[in-house]
Amino acid sequence: MTRKNQRTATLAVLPMYLFSLVFVAGPLVYMLVLSFMTRDGFGFTNAFTLENYRSIFNEVYFATFLESLKLAGISTAAVILFGYPFGLGAALLPDRYAHFFRTAQMIPYFVNSLLRLCGWIIIFRANGLLDKALMALGITEEPLKFLYTYPAVVVGMIYVLLPFMFLSVYQVAEKLDLTLVEAARDLGAGKIRAFLTVTLPLTLPGLKTGIILTFIPSMGLFFIASILGGNKVVLIGSLIEEQLMRAHNQPFAAALSVALMLLTGVVCGLLMKKKRGA
Amino acid sequence: MKKLALVLASLMLAGSLTACGGSGAGKNGTLNLFTWEGMFPEEVLAEFEETTGIDINYVNFDYDETMLMKLQAAEGGDYDLVIADDYIIETAIAEGLVQPLDKAKIPSIGNVNPLYQGQFYDPTDAYTVPYGAGVQTIVYNPANVDAEIKGYADLWDAGLADSVGIISNYRVIGGMALKVLGKSYNTTETADITAAGEKLNELAPNIRLIKDDYIQDDLISGEIDAAVMYTSQVTMAKMTDPSLEIVYPEEGIGFGIMAMFVPSKAPNADAAHKFIEFILDPERGAKCYEYLGYYCTATASEEYIAEEYRGFLTLPAELDREDMEMIQNITPEADDAHIAAWNAFKGLCE
Repeated sequence: MTRKNQRTATLAVLPMYLFSLVFVAGPLVYMLVLSFMTRDGFGFTNAFTLENYRSIFNEVYFATFLESLKLAGISTAAVILFGYPFGLGAALLPDRYAHFFRTAQMIPYFVNSLLRLCGWIIIFRANGLLDKALMALGITEEPLKFLYTYPAVVVGMIYVLLPFMFLSVYQVAEKLDLTLVEAARDLGAGKIRAFLTVTLPLTLPGLKTGIILTFIPSMGLFFIASILGGNKVVLIGSLIEEQLMRAHNQPFAAALSVALMLLTGVVCGLLMKKKRGA
Repeated sequence: MKKLALVLASLMLAGSLTACGGSGAGKNGTLNLFTWEGMFPEEVLAEFEETTGIDINYVNFDYDETMLMKLQAAEGGDYDLVIADDYIIETAIAEGLVQPLDKAKIPSIGNVNPLYQGQFYDPTDAYTVPYGAGVQTIVYNPANVDAEIKGYADLWDAGLADSVGIISNYRVIGGMALKVLGKSYNTTETADITAAGEKLNELAPNIRLIKDDYIQDDLISGEIDAAVMYTSQVTMAKMTDPSLEIVYPEEGIGFGIMAMFVPSKAPNADAAHKFIEFILDPERGAKCYEYLGYYCTATASEEYIAEEYRGFLTLPAELDREDMEMIQNITPEADDAHIAAWNAFKGLCE
């Protein structure tokens, strides 16, 4: 790269770099500092304390972390189960159909996800669409109480997160060289063996990107648990909101946020490391 | 997208038109009114602008805490009249952000219901005039509930398994358990709060949902059969389905007050006093309370409240008012005990 090009490149990235520094790194540092301060009435004082971090290990709050991890784990697993075959299958279809599926996955995203989740309420609520359909088919006799249950939350999570997995897998699978699979088959590998030794390893980067893109947001998507789960599944996100808006404990909210970031950071770090190793 | 932008633009235009209130308004200055959205019927605001020539600049906040932060930043300036919740007003007064009212400018102050005066946040009524009260009640659907509900303790009944809804406020719900145990809403004894938490845990199997917004819809649609909810929600539920029963819990009643105050450095304190006096007019006040959906805090307005609303916007005459208690600010330790109990309880709800 010539010096002139380098200068142009620097100028191009500088605004974004400064923006990130001020509006991303700045608040993060503020949050980190805040997490070591002492709560005082509605505000806080700058007396140093580790109490906020100690509180996280209180069994109630620690259980919230476990609950968040559990829901994120279940959601991510379900999204892999549905999203991977879907993305792979769609990419292997003739272009026309492949594009159709890709676009169809994205269209709902033109509408705010909060509004789309409210649509699920109409389906799940007592005597809603789901109940009417099941009763018409004679499968159930009374309205199910499906809204505000754990499975309803998981359905909501899958619904919101599926496209991230689909698109990640789709992108990689699209470039998959099918002659390699054919070669494996010609050399005597069965369908399953060919999948496990050729298709899966080649699409693994897409799968891993999909997992990261699914897992990180799923740790923070507490509004799904509150809309479809009736707030009964307490996630770390809702705990932070409550500490901030109702309990007026900003330092503890900051400590929880730092802990959440560390946790997601560690999980992603593990995935990335394996990715490089693969 | 274009259509949406057009709709937005026209809404904004409509908004700015009403804010101006027609020609001639504003010649006597501006009233900067700082409160939640939807606190007054449009016609009452327009009438004030017309009769006084004072322009109203209605500024919204979403949470009391946001209001306090903005008021702190403005050092008691910028706003002429604020309406907020009791507990935050206590803090605002303590921080010197509120000025004493000039009672000579509010001749109708006697219209206020004494029940809502002299409370913890302003014991001598020097700073505030109440505007609406929230009274904690239980609402249930008698068609789906076999037993009669008389108090909070009845919500623990096994017959209500998976069919109770509660608002997401740990002081209200934790306080409910405290009341069942015969304690005060405002106890600072952490042992009592922890005991109440344990009592609350036994309620978990009956809880179907915990939410603040639109909980009345779940009661109306039959998703839940009984609920503890905010007063404005009770009003909406009752307006939609008159067959619902409202219960004033026999253990005692908790309530909260919204009140008007003038910030210490209000640019136009005179206009603020004029507005308070304007709202205290009995007939006009009744119109406001009907619109607001909270309990009427002005005795003089009660008789003007339409029959259909009166039953749930005024307290029943036979109610034991000695048993009423406000939810106040408590020590951080007690507050922490409440939050820990609340989260443990939520963890048990499935």
